[in-house]
Amino acid sequence: MIAVVRIRLENITKEFGDFKALDGIDLEIEEGEFMALLGPSGSGKSTLLYIIAGIYKPTKGRIYFDDGDVTDLPPKDRNVGLVFQNWALYPHMSVFENITFPLELRKVAKGEIRRKVAEVTEMLKIENLLDRYPWQLSGGQQQRVAIARALVKEPDVLLLDEPLSNLDALLRIEVRAELKRLQKKLGITAVYVTHDQAEALAMADRIAVIKDGRLLQVGTPEEIYERPRHKFVGGFIGNPPMNFLNGFADRGILRIGKSTIPLPKEYESVRGEVIVGFRPHDVEIGEGIEGEVYSVEHLGREQIVTVSVEGEMVKVIVPGDRRFEFGDKVRLKPKKIVLFDKKTETAI
Amino acid sequence: MRDIETKSRKSELLIILTIVIASVPMILAFSLLVLSSFSEEMVTNLKSFRPTLENWINLFQGKMAITGSIRVNIFEITLNTLIVALGVAGLVTIVSTLAGYALSRMDFRGRKHVMIALLVLHAFPGVALIVGVYLLYKLTLPQDPDLMRFYSFFYVILARGALEIPMSVWLMKGFFDAIPWEFEWSGIIDGASRITVWRKIMLPLVKPGILAVALFAFIAGWQDIIYVRTFLIDQTLATFIESNIESEFSHMPLIAAAGTLYLLPTIVFFLIAQRILLQGYSGGLKG
Repeated sequence: MIAVVRIRLENITKEFGDFKALDGIDLEIEEGEFMALLGPSGSGKSTLLYIIAGIYKPTKGRIYFDDGDVTDLPPKDRNVGLVFQNWALYPHMSVFENITFPLELRKVAKGEIRRKVAEVTEMLKIENLLDRYPWQLSGGQQQRVAIARALVKEPDVLLLDEPLSNLDALLRIEVRAELKRLQKKLGITAVYVTHDQAEALAMADRIAVIKDGRLLQVGTPEEIYERPRHKFVGGFIGNPPMNFLNGFADRGILRIGKSTIPLPKEYESVRGEVIVGFRPHDVEIGEGIEGEVYSVEHLGREQIVTVSVEGEMVKVIVPGDRRFEFGDKVRLKPKKIVLFDKKTETAI
Repeated sequence: MRDIETKSRKSELLIILTIVIASVPMILAFSLLVLSSFSEEMVTNLKSFRPTLENWINLFQGKMAITGSIRVNIFEITLNTLIVALGVAGLVTIVSTLAGYALSRMDFRGRKHVMIALLVLHAFPGVALIVGVYLLYKLTLPQDPDLMRFYSFFYVILARGALEIPMSVWLMKGFFDAIPWEFEWSGIIDGASRITVWRKIMLPLVKPGILAVALFAFIAGWQDIIYVRTFLIDQTLATFIESNIESEFSHMPLIAAAGTLYLLPTIVFFLIAQRILLQGYSGGLKG
């Protein structure tokens, strides 16, 4: 029912007046892939989505769907479905009219419209809401109607612009699992814009991290989490995010303040000032970097211990049964570390 | 608590009192007009009110002076007024919904200048422009008498509408500005052209604005006297009342009946406009 399309973005640059919203983005999104565009607000991720949709035209660069260049095609000829953050349901139209709007415009036959609406509303479990108006629906229902409207025209690509951010926290977690299941069931290529790293990790096949209009890293959630290529990526992903400390590497030894820890084999040849990054989960308390307990937060099964190392705060997640007091001297031993260049902040 | 409650009630009372006092002359004047139209002579005190329907009957029969045999067709005059008012309303509504949309949503060269020009134009009183507008009228007036009558309607609608357009365009621009871009983008993604989006999505969303603009323009056309008197060959209610009020044959209660007829749309307008303007779109948009 749905054609599967590969999207290729080549050197996409977008300027609004003097402001460079996107700067030379190269990205490939595979057939049937769920790609998350992740970044803080103002990073340009929504702009990139709107460029794929055709709402904005790139200042430079080309967009390909499979092998076809769609850069100069208007949105209606790209056959994309778009779900907006505020869902943009037409308030003066009933749910049925909202969903059939794209089909009416295409002059699809009445019987065919009925069949397609039945199919998509059944799939999204909104078949009993057809006569209502948008303001009579709950947030979750409105969101389903918006998805139905995007899917009813059988788009080649499904684009989603923070569709969950208007839902309350519990519903969001429920819907994100459903949305991922739906995408896989349809096999449709999906691009999902979010600023919520947990959402991206939970749903996406691959994540593209964007900051200040630049693509910092593209990879699977595991790659992004375990091997950030840029300090920002480490600091943006994970809750709590990656810890960073300044250090000096020399012949396989890393010096942090007064303490030293051995460097793993792959970093043996590194020499000079570096930033060391490690995840709160990947730290043992024992031998290693000296610090002082700053605060302790209990989360039930585990606890987050904030340790002050040379004036910098480091968060460590340890099992809930150990007792820590404010001011305790502890030694931290990171099990897995990533080194970043002090100047460029990229991974070494 | 008690203190705050009494205070607010006091100030509220003061406001209501001010409004009542300020509107007493108006209410009095209009009541006297309406009462006089149903009276044998002009109502100036309670004793002078002697009820009759004679004035209204005479008005609709077109008997202008009680004794004289001067006949006018009041229905034709009302129709003329209606043509002018509807013409102005139609013209203003069409132009302002299109121009308001363009100024709100389209990025074209000179957009800022157009907006400033609109504000400046709005500040010009219609009387100040009338000499120039009359010159244009003289230059374009056709010679054929039938055509001339038709043309005078056309011209008065155009000229009076032009006076209303700057403010209406601003008003419509404001209504369009309030609609999130996502509605428009969504329509375009769904496959609609810009004009279809305007017609099927944007217009229904600015319905309160369209109604407000149309009503204001209708009233402006209905009430206008200077432009109608200068350009229109036929009479409207405004010019009819004006020309009769000083005539030696005129029977004032009959003119009061014409005046009441002339007032009707304004009263209806305020009843409708109040509801529409206060209501807006309730709960239609989210996010």
